[in-house]
Formats: sequence, C-alpha cells, structure tokens
Amino acid sequence: MPVKIGNRNGLTICYVEGEIDINTSPDVKKPFDKLISSKTPKIIVNLSKVTYVDSSGLATLVEILKNMRSYGGKLKLSNMSSKIKSLFEITKLEKLFDIVADEEEAISTFV
Amino acid sequence: MQGMIKLDPLAFIKSILSSPSGKVSIKIPSEIKYLRKASSKILSALEGRNVDEGRIFDIKLCIEEAVRNAMVHGNHFNKQKIVKIMYWIGGDTLHIEVEDEGSGFEHAAIVDPTDPTNITKNSGRGVYLIRKLMDKVEYNDKGNKVTMTKILNQRGNIVCP
Repeated sequence: MPVKIGNRNGLTICYVEGEIDINTSPDVKKPFDKLISSKTPKIIVNLSKVTYVDSSGLATLVEILKNMRSYGGKLKLSNMSSKIKSLFEITKLEKLFDIVADEEEAISTFV
Repeated sequence: MQGMIKLDPLAFIKSILSSPSGKVSIKIPSEIKYLRKASSKILSALEGRNVDEGRIFDIKLCIEEAVRNAMVHGNHFNKQKIVKIMYWIGGDTLHIEVEDEGSGFEHAAIVDPTDPTNITKNSGRGVYLIRKLMDKVEYNDKGNKVTMTKILNQRGNIVCP
C-alpha cells in the first residue's frame, strides 16, 4: 500500500511512499477516496518518501484537492523533495496547493 | 515494421535495434506496462556519464510523458499500434524521438495548463512539462513525432562513454 495513514494532534496525516505515476495513481487515490467519503476535514499529505511524480500523479493530487474542497475540507502537502517541489512551481500548482516545509509546520498552521 | 512486434512477454526485447550510427530504436506496443521499460532502457545508456539526479529525473519524466501521450492520444491504446522510440547521444547531448501511428495533433493548440482557468484541469500538463524540462522540443509537421533534446552536463563538458 503506497499510503499509510496516521494521526497527530487530531489531524489525519497520509504518508505516501514511492512513485505517484500512471501506474500507482489509482492505489494512491483509493485511501483518500475513503477519507473524503467520510468528509475528513483536514488532511496533511507527507511526501517525504515520494521519489517521482508524473503528470498523472499531479492530476491525482489535484483531484484529491478538488474533492476535499467540495465539502470544505482542507489539504496541506508537506516534506516535498526539492525536485518534486520544482514540478509544482513549473506547473504553477504551488499556487493551488497549500505547500509547507514539514509536518510540524502543517500541524501548527492547521490547529 | 509492425511485423517485428509480437505481443508476448519478449516483445520489448525483440524490438530493440542499434544502428552503426549509435542510434537505438525501441518499438513497443501501446500498453502502459512497457512505459517504464522504455525509460529504463534509455536511462541505462546514461550510466557512467555523471548525469546529475535532477537531469535523470527530468529525462525519465519527459520520456514517460511523451510515450504515454503517443500511446493515449496517438495510438488510442490500440495494442496493434506501436510507439517507436529512437535515442542517441551526440557529445554531451541526449536526443530522443517518440513517434506514434496516429494522425498527429496540433501541439500549439494545447491549452496552457498553468492558466488559472485551466489549472485544475488535467490536460496539457505532460506536454507542458516536456517543454519546460527539456532543452529543445520539436514536432514534425504531421504532429505524430516529437524530438526532445537534453544537455547531459551542466557545464557542457564532453563526456566520453
């Protein structure tokens, strides 16, 4: 399973591992669909163990964000490698997402 | 050409050809499972050339985006249609051609995925990333072949194989 789900300070934290691409995107999205169906209000996505993201992976994250926003949920992305962060900058998705340096910053700005 | 491709587990291996000019041709069926094999084959040619991780990431991403576009938009996932990939290294530059059997597309007509009105749509981002991450990108007139060029070493040094 490429996504492990934890809880800190009452916040749901999703730890994604490996690659988010055309092959893995459906498996990455599944646990988020469950959290979204139960209208989880705040989710932190820790990407520290993500090594590769393609346009399908970016699309998957956009889809998750859109679905969360549909019920007023909030999402933060944390612990991105500099390379993956550069993809968000190039595609200007950094303006769409709330990107923070690490989990601690995500928690402190969420609570 | 198509006759060279057999849709069996060895199809990928059967479809690699090297020419005396150093150009390597890979032909793969339009199935996602061959995507990573194609990118891995090209990246393996860069081993020992001291290409930094960032460039390796960019090259892998652009190969996979271009090949996937060829499979999806060019060949419409028709397994009988192949994607032809040709790559060669000239001096310190990697050249990759990706060609499908489709009728071509108007690449200039692709919407800007960074435009605020398109930012949440999921089309055009792959082509956009290729344009941004490669040093040079050219399409043939028909629009079914893209040629991507990436300088392998930041300082432009000639790296011997």
